[in-house]
Amino acid sequence: MSALLEVRHVTRRFAGLVAVHDVSFALAPGEILGLIGPNGAGKTTLISLISGTLEPSEGEVLFDGQAITRLPAFRRARLGIGRTFQIMRPFPGLSVLDNVAIGALFGHRGGQAQLARARAQARACLDFVGLGGFADQRADELGGPGRKRLELAKALAMKPRLLLCDEVMAGLNHVEIEEVIAVIRKVRQQGISVLVIEHVIKAIRSLSDRLLVLHHGELIADGTPEKVLADATVVQAYLGARRAR
Amino acid sequence: MKAWQWIAMAIALAVLASLPWWGSDVTVQFAINALLLAVLAQGWNIIGGYTGYASFGNSVFYGLGSYGVAIAMVQWHLPFAVGLLFGVALAVAFALLLGVPVLRLRGHYFAIATLALAGVMAAIVSNIPLAGQNIGLVLPPLNDDRLFYGLALGLMLVSTAVVWWLTRSRFGFGLIAIRENEDGAAVMGVNTTLYKVLAFTLSGVLSSLAGGIHAYWITFLDPESAFDIGLNVKMIIMAVFGGAGTVLGPVIGAFTLSAISEWLSSEVTSIATLFFGVVIIAAVVLMPHGLMDLARRARLGTLTWRYLGENVRANKL
Amino acid sequence: MDLLAQVLANGILLGGLYAVMALGLALVWGVLNIVNLAHGSFIMLGAYCSWHLFHYLHVDPFLGLPITAVVMFALGYGVQRGLLNLIVRAPMFNTLLLTFGLDVVLTYLAQLAFSADFRAINPGYAGSQVHWGPMVLPLVRLGAFAVALALTVGMWLFLLHTRLGRAIRATAQNLVAARLHGVEPRHLYALTFAIGIALAGTAGGLYGTVSQINPYIGASLTLKSFAIAIIGGLDNPLGVLVGGLFLGVVEALTTLYVGPTFVDVASFGILALVLIVRPTGLLGRTT
Repeated sequence: MSALLEVRHVTRRFAGLVAVHDVSFALAPGEILGLIGPNGAGKTTLISLISGTLEPSEGEVLFDGQAITRLPAFRRARLGIGRTFQIMRPFPGLSVLDNVAIGALFGHRGGQAQLARARAQARACLDFVGLGGFADQRADELGGPGRKRLELAKALAMKPRLLLCDEVMAGLNHVEIEEVIAVIRKVRQQGISVLVIEHVIKAIRSLSDRLLVLHHGELIADGTPEKVLADATVVQAYLGARRAR
Repeated sequence: MKAWQWIAMAIALAVLASLPWWGSDVTVQFAINALLLAVLAQGWNIIGGYTGYASFGNSVFYGLGSYGVAIAMVQWHLPFAVGLLFGVALAVAFALLLGVPVLRLRGHYFAIATLALAGVMAAIVSNIPLAGQNIGLVLPPLNDDRLFYGLALGLMLVSTAVVWWLTRSRFGFGLIAIRENEDGAAVMGVNTTLYKVLAFTLSGVLSSLAGGIHAYWITFLDPESAFDIGLNVKMIIMAVFGGAGTVLGPVIGAFTLSAISEWLSSEVTSIATLFFGVVIIAAVVLMPHGLMDLARRARLGTLTWRYLGENVRANKL
Repeated sequence: MDLLAQVLANGILLGGLYAVMALGLALVWGVLNIVNLAHGSFIMLGAYCSWHLFHYLHVDPFLGLPITAVVMFALGYGVQRGLLNLIVRAPMFNTLLLTFGLDVVLTYLAQLAFSADFRAINPGYAGSQVHWGPMVLPLVRLGAFAVALALTVGMWLFLLHTRLGRAIRATAQNLVAARLHGVEPRHLYALTFAIGIALAGTAGGLYGTVSQINPYIGASLTLKSFAIAIIGGLDNPLGVLVGGLFLGVVEALTTLYVGPTFVDVASFGILALVLIVRPTGLLGRTT
């Protein structure tokens, strides 16, 4: 089975700083791939290189066999790549429902043409993540956990084939984390592949089929969670994790 | 919309539609001016209010429309309708050629760039013989205010309909998404460059039609009045005062401010300019969300004098 | 060739003056993030201030500059503290709109108070010239250039080496830190704006000696100041000086090779071009 996403020798420099260096990996359809690493390891940069917010200095990104390395972000969205943002980006003046409707209107394959149908689809997504009751509130009135779910709902409304989640569990308590894990599992059941960045080790260990570890912009491990988390290099790089969750 | 709102709009439309028959000549002329200003305000509303790109140079489109009609009718002896189309063509060309580079700029850079373009165009046109250079052009006279009133009213209704369409169309939602969070919009699949250029062009088309109608109506134009940068002041403040990003705001703002300006002018001549300047300052400080927001609060029952104070307190150092 | 040299000299002399005009704008923009669309009107008011000092009190325009500077300083402080302060934390668009409106008001009031007639400041030595090689340099223009140069270098020294200058730059970078250091932001903001307006007014006073003034010169001067500020960058007065000289020379060459009516096309065109090609500034940062 060919990979849905292939990242080949991708490097990204920012005026002298190498954020991501020679990273290669593949993501299979229907897989949940976890991505961990200390702060500043380059995880969000890597996600941005896949979603199109940034272009790599070197290397290639392939989606479903098609080279997307130079494609602008909106075209990658149309191809089926959706992402959430660590620093959340709602549309503050719009209602929660309309925030998600934007995803339905413009997502995979150009989205819906009709506003009414987009809103209906948006409602379904809000229910899916558990925000159904907040549909008519203004987006900037949501609290932290609510905003995380909104990010998720917006990305899902795009009907993506690949969902990139950037720290959707940050700042959540145990119960909320379990809920998000359940949602991501439901997402995979729908046939959507997921790449999850997380700091919450326990959560990502139970969630991921495979785990990638990024450190100083380089990939230092790639395998099942048990193998990776027992790896000495990983433990050393990520010593703080034991004290966190 | 509630029943009383429909009735109110119907009455307003009836009044407007029948104006030429019961209004005095002066009233009709005032109305034509107000209607054309409303069109400019709605045009600005599309790019400034809905897309969030505050253009300080939409006067260029107005000027291009005016000169399109003037050149077509005076130099090439073509009919008015063709002149209007020519003006629109000029506006579209301008929006496409210069819109693409300029729309890459954000925020105040975009504003200054459009202001600069407005200045350049005014300076260029005053140097072109075809445009009558500094002396201007005189168009064939047509003394039919009713016709011009009808055209102006029709254009205002079309502009408002276009803005209303924005609020319920995929295109309009894309524009709003760009305004609220452009990078977020791009990541969700909105082709931001295309949409911005389309919005700018649409805004330009409406403004150029207003310019064309105005030129034929007053029969004379010169570079300074056609590309008058002061027009930008007026159209922006009318849109903002009424409520940028709303459907009816710019129309109400245009009529309200025009009416007050007329009334003041009859008391103290040429005070209109000062009036607009003061209104801008007061509106930006006290009611930056415009009349429509005041109305919304009034409907919710939360409109108090404190509303004005709130606006100030939220924004001052 | 001689003509070219003369034209270039004219351009450079004018450019120095332009630099002072833009200095105040760059300061206010870089430090306070206030984009002042009324900047040109303040230049115009400074010019009228100098003109009144000259015309009614017979004060030499150069000697009277400090007075103009003080008057404009007070005006700037009042405008910032009383008006601009009210919208400092609002979106940038509100500042643009407010200063746009302020420009309209100031122009109108000037026209009301001073009439639309052209005025000029012509001190007794206005006709004197200095001959330098093939070039003829009017004394007044040389004087204006010298003052402009002094002001620019003075601003640079002020911002870099004085306590107040450093406090201003610190506040620009970090409002909270400034507060923690005991700086009262409102006062500092008003002070900075006042300095910017004082510079604008001084530039106006100089402008009045080399060119005619009327209430409507503001708009064009605002755009030129923007062009210079963006070319030169907002963080370095010396960059602004280069920008000013550049614009002055371009205008002079345009007058010579294209025609005097195209000068505005050139200046505004350059502004548009620089914004389109490199909005982050050519010599310094503008963000």
